[in-house]
Amino acid sequence: MSEAPVVETVELTKVYGEFTALDHLSIRLEKGQILGFIGPNGAGKTTTIKILVGLIRPTSGKASIGGVDCTSDARKIKHLVGYMPDTFGSYDNMRVREYLDFFGAAFKIPRKQRQDRINASLAITGASHMADLYVESLSHGMKQRVAIARTLLHDPPVLILDEPANGLDPAARVEMREILLNLAQRGKTLIVTSHILPELARICNMVAIMTHGKLRAFGTLDEIMQSVRHQRMIEIQLLSEEDVTQAAEILRENLGETASVTPAPSEMMVRFNTTGNEQSLAVALQRLVSAQVRVSQFREMQQDLEDAFLSVTQQDKTEIAAGEAQA
Amino acid sequence: MNNPIVRRELIGALRKPNVAALEVAWLAVLAAVIVLRWPAGGRVNLAGTQAQQVLSLLSWTILVGMMLVAPAFPAASVVAEKRTGTLALLLNSPLSPAAIYFGKLIGALGLPIILMLLTIPGMTACFAMGGVSLVHQVLPLYLIFILVALESAAVGLYVSIRVNDVDSGIRLTYAVLFVLDLLLLIPYRLVADTQNPTFLLIGRWLASFSPLPAMLHVLGANSVHAGNSVNGGTSVITRFVICSLVLSGVLGLLSIQRLGQWLFDRPRASGKITDDRSTKVRAYRRIMYLWFFDPQRRSGLIGPFSNPVMVKEFRTSRFGRSHWMMRLVGICLMVSLGLMLAAAYGSMSFQPQTLGELMVMFQVTLIVLITPSLSAGLISSELQNKSWQLLRVTPLSPASIVLGKLLSVCRTLLLLLFATLPGYAVMLVIDKGQADRVITVLITLGLIALFCLMVSSAISSWFRKTAQATALSYALLLGLFGGTLVFWAGRGTLFSLSLVAGILKYNPLAAALATIHAPGFTDYNFVLTNWWFMLTVMGVAAVVLVFRTWQLTRPD
Repeated sequence: MSEAPVVETVELTKVYGEFTALDHLSIRLEKGQILGFIGPNGAGKTTTIKILVGLIRPTSGKASIGGVDCTSDARKIKHLVGYMPDTFGSYDNMRVREYLDFFGAAFKIPRKQRQDRINASLAITGASHMADLYVESLSHGMKQRVAIARTLLHDPPVLILDEPANGLDPAARVEMREILLNLAQRGKTLIVTSHILPELARICNMVAIMTHGKLRAFGTLDEIMQSVRHQRMIEIQLLSEEDVTQAAEILRENLGETASVTPAPSEMMVRFNTTGNEQSLAVALQRLVSAQVRVSQFREMQQDLEDAFLSVTQQDKTEIAAGEAQA
Repeated sequence: MNNPIVRRELIGALRKPNVAALEVAWLAVLAAVIVLRWPAGGRVNLAGTQAQQVLSLLSWTILVGMMLVAPAFPAASVVAEKRTGTLALLLNSPLSPAAIYFGKLIGALGLPIILMLLTIPGMTACFAMGGVSLVHQVLPLYLIFILVALESAAVGLYVSIRVNDVDSGIRLTYAVLFVLDLLLLIPYRLVADTQNPTFLLIGRWLASFSPLPAMLHVLGANSVHAGNSVNGGTSVITRFVICSLVLSGVLGLLSIQRLGQWLFDRPRASGKITDDRSTKVRAYRRIMYLWFFDPQRRSGLIGPFSNPVMVKEFRTSRFGRSHWMMRLVGICLMVSLGLMLAAAYGSMSFQPQTLGELMVMFQVTLIVLITPSLSAGLISSELQNKSWQLLRVTPLSPASIVLGKLLSVCRTLLLLLFATLPGYAVMLVIDKGQADRVITVLITLGLIALFCLMVSSAISSWFRKTAQATALSYALLLGLFGGTLVFWAGRGTLFSLSLVAGILKYNPLAAALATIHAPGFTDYNFVLTNWWFMLTVMGVAAVVLVFRTWQLTRPD
């Protein structure tokens, strides 16, 4: 039996006039999971997030966190979620410690505990040395850390982070990744949006891909890769240019029209895309070896989240184009 | 006109929908003003009295319009580009700082000039009625309007280059112009009765920075503060022309000098805390700042009974921080004590009423200048900085947000009012019979402070940009407190006494001056009417503020 979901949306829909920002979104997250929420600009990610944190009312459907309804129990939701928007929202003339103290007091954390919470949040995000600095004097990366520290103050079980890695340099991005993994280890459930997909792929165990307000793919990273994988790309390393020519001919004969074979004599390599299964790949390799083609490597190119995302968005564009053509 | 900035600024300004709305509103006001004083029955007397009345009302309307509109765009012009990063692009282009400055200046003058052009039909109608001189009245009036626009643009641009956020630019520009246009008239008034020619000369030149004496002279009401009776009529206008051109020129040079690449050469604040410094530095700062007022002191956590929003507002607003607050209170105390000493030694032959008038003017000026700067950004700055959505995800209720924000301004205003109280003590020492009046004035001042606070806060909740909220707050409050006094200045000559009394009863400053029996206000008694007016407006503003905050905190 699976655990009770920490975050759940059921047929969540948001309509602005004739524009559907969110179309029957249903997702489910369990404790400690990190959801990578991806999609092009205007896909409906921020709308979903704002519904979850109680800033927007859905047109229909339900969203709940820890069993608490995000619309009717907006006050309780505030204690259950730590929200970091894509803009920092700083106050001038305020030091980091004062900034966190204000939000701590706003969440009614007793004074005695507040100092410890501030110190702990700053320590988790590696921002302890910034406590006395003025917020407006911080660099972008430092501000992102402070923003995460702010979301941790009231110790919520769910953290929703909108573009936490946006604008960070590579070193800061690595540090941010460690911070997020650390939070998941502490039992927090995280929803993270980002356009930096390789980064997201390294930290997320769940992925949701959205386009035009619709959920196109949702599941573990492996499941997503499986669901979007229509063609496999195989790369064969050979020992001479003759081998390349011979291998290309054999592959074309055996794989037929289902594969597109691309010989690269200068690299002594042949690449091909195929929809074939493991069996057909084994047969192709056997044929090459039988024809005494000298194969040094036969490998499948790994597809990443970026490929999956592009594949889904491409599919979406094709569907829209087909719809328009039909109309 | 090859300067690309001129084109961009002009087109940019004219494309804004609020500028179109402003032009329409301006035309409506001009039309209303002309209709108000246009001779009934289509008959005009040959002496030109009616034409003069229409001309006066129209000219004062244009002047007030120029004073309110002309500074708004230049005050935001450079600082807005600084914030968005486009100023760095401009400075990195082959355009020289002078070209950038003049581009901005000409662009800033575009809208006032368009507004002035829209007044030509009205002026022509006055001229056509007869009795109005083109050379001695119409042309000098337009010269004054143009110079007011130029002076405002020069001040606005200079301030805009110096500050780091748009709302500071707007409020500081209006504050400087308030000093130039109104407060610099006071020294002449103080020395007018003395026979010291040096004091008179200084007072007269200081008053010449304001366009009011020149306006009053052109319109034939020579009774106020400019000293034209001594030097002849022409010199009043000449002095104003010289003062405004010199001021605009000097500010222009300073602005061009500052508009260099080093404008951005500022280190980040290190945020070093006194507690972390060496024992010697720590001891020195604790003595100098009396420990509590040290800006680098590590502040304590927000207390269990404090409203967190109130504390946050103290910490983020300039006058909220105790060291800034104490500087301001110190200045108020010094001015107040200065007046007290002057009165005690009788060196300036102050009557209690004159002292009272000065005290009231001083306090109301402080309130009108400081309150919008503190309260016009209460909600709008949160919306502008996108920090409002952070407040929305906290469990803070709309009532606690509003209360915290209002209380933060109240504390500052209360301190300011208390700091100026010693002057009233002197008044009571001189004349104990003034006690009732002083109490009434103090109640009026308290209401004025609350009135300004509520109006600015209510305006703040309807804007997403602090600069706009600040500009509108200043425009409304300065229009009410200062603008309506223009009618008082022309009482009996340009405007009928009943019209002046009818308008003044809505001016809280006039009510306070009338209560204290200040010279020129002894005939009026409308303090109760004025209290009711302020209380009604405050009530409406409170409802608007609470409703809007509630609306802004609800899910969209």
